Amino acid sequence: MRALIVDDEPLARRELARLLAEFGWVDIVGEAANAGEAAPLIERLLPDLLFLDIQMPGGTGFDLLQRLEHLPRVIFTTAYDKHALRAFEVNALDYLLKPIEPERLAAALARAQAAVASAPGAAATGGAILERLFLRDGDRCWFVPLREVRLFTAEGNYVRLSWDQSHPLLGRPLSSLEPRLDPKRFFRANRRQIVNLECIESVELGVNGRLHVQLRGGPEVEISRRQARLFRQLTSL
Amino acid sequence: MDTALPGVTRPQTSRSYWLCQLGGWGLYAMIEAGIATRILRLPVGISLLELTGYALVGVALTHLLRAVLRWRAWARLPFYALAPRILAMALLLSLPVAAMTDHLSIAALWAPEQVDVDSLHISPGMIRPARALILVINTTALFAIWAVCYLTITALRDQRSAALRQSELTRALQLAELRLLKSQLNPHFLFNSLNSVRALIADDPGGAQKAVTQLARTLRYTLTAGREELVTLARELEIVEDYLALESLRFGERLRIARDLAPETMGVRVPVMLLQTVVENAIKHGIAELPAGGELRIVAALRGGALHIEVENTRPQAAQRALRNEGEGVGLDNAAERLRLLFGANARLDLDLSSAMVAVARIRIPGTA
Repeated sequence: MRALIVDDEPLARRELARLLAEFGWVDIVGEAANAGEAAPLIERLLPDLLFLDIQMPGGTGFDLLQRLEHLPRVIFTTAYDKHALRAFEVNALDYLLKPIEPERLAAALARAQAAVASAPGAAATGGAILERLFLRDGDRCWFVPLREVRLFTAEGNYVRLSWDQSHPLLGRPLSSLEPRLDPKRFFRANRRQIVNLECIESVELGVNGRLHVQLRGGPEVEISRRQARLFRQLTSL
Repeated sequence: MDTALPGVTRPQTSRSYWLCQLGGWGLYAMIEAGIATRILRLPVGISLLELTGYALVGVALTHLLRAVLRWRAWARLPFYALAPRILAMALLLSLPVAAMTDHLSIAALWAPEQVDVDSLHISPGMIRPARALILVINTTALFAIWAVCYLTITALRDQRSAALRQSELTRALQLAELRLLKSQLNPHFLFNSLNSVRALIADDPGGAQKAVTQLARTLRYTLTAGREELVTLARELEIVEDYLALESLRFGERLRIARDLAPETMGVRVPVMLLQTVVENAIKHGIAELPAGGELRIVAALRGGALHIEVENTRPQAAQRALRNEGEGVGLDNAAERLRLLFGANARLDLDLSSAMVAVARIRIPGTA
């Protein structure tokens, strides 16, 4: 498993590297001292696992995750940070408290390994298709598996996700998200919306010949006339 | 001093005083009026009217007595000095009452046959003077009892409010100490330092030992900070240096330190943990936020008999500062208030954020000699 360490303290990075030396199957492919250094390194090296400190100069670990195109498995590390600890616990994120206990590290690595094995990371797919996104809204944060998202709706330069019972907002435009979505699964319904084809419950022919798609547990979406033909082909209606 | 009660309790005090006054004298007048009508067979109207007058005069004179008690602060006198003064004052005040009452119908209430002294076989000519004497003695006793009641009630009340004030003061002090302790025991620093030590143990055992000693000294200083309010600047700087050595382990080359400390400032007494708090704040909002690190500068000098300390740190850019939810000066409010409490309004702790490049905390402690 290829891992990358992000921490602003050199001694903390060294200590974690030494602890990881016990686990021969974990290969440390790189280290970064802040979010600005880490982002290009992660996009280039495409690690499976990220050890990520929260409080860093020039942007927190959460800020970094929101910027990433390729999202590895993440184990957060922090010495003490009330806000971060709350976020970890509320959202059941994997985290380690510094100084790190070897037993806890072993348990977290085992969980990460299981997750990586069940869902091959971007390294396998070449990083072209986005599998997961990290979203944060105050104390709540999510690693959203994109195949579970029913609908993406553009709101200015942001995108509102319809996922399970929540509707988190993603801080990037729909146009930058679209090329990274699996074209077999996601379909541009109209100028503002992209639907998940697997979440379609029923399709109705509305007045003036427009198609209306009813999503499971979600809203009804209208398919624009331009896209309707494509939709029919794709779903062989 | 003992009458310097907080303003809010005054109306309450004076209302209960007037309730007692009017209630007490009213009750007295009613009882006497009852006796006057049933035993002396005086008309109800007359006895009520006259005894109301008697009670009103009593209220007025005891109010005067109260004024004298408060003015001369008799409550603070020992018993042997207090008792004759009260008796003399009561006697003095009883004279006009007796003179007035002597001309009224209710004077018969104090006639010798009413107070069981007729067995002394007073001659008819002496009955009037005897009645006046009884009146004087009786009224004197009444005023003296009034004074004892007044002094007892006010003494109890003052004692209770003093105890209350004392406990409030103690609580405020404990709260301040707790806040100091909580703000000083910075868990982020503590756990990160422990992590640094763990990292050093394998690579640099000597460095690890030194770091443990420095951490222990910093913690001990913090934990005992509540015991002494003031320490010499030299002593405070020892702990600041321990702290900075530990932060240097964490930040490495990102933390650059410059010092300009005038030797004559070393003996000046400063509030414990004050400089430490300011330096910690500079690290937290300066160096810790800078990816490339920055400089921390500590300057101490004596000017015009006052100690001037400056702690300067490189500031993060405005865009990065905006990301933080906590302001740069928030951590210093507590320290500034403690400084004011200890040294008065002439002592200062200001954070100068007028420059975009550096933040400067300025401490001014007036000379205590």
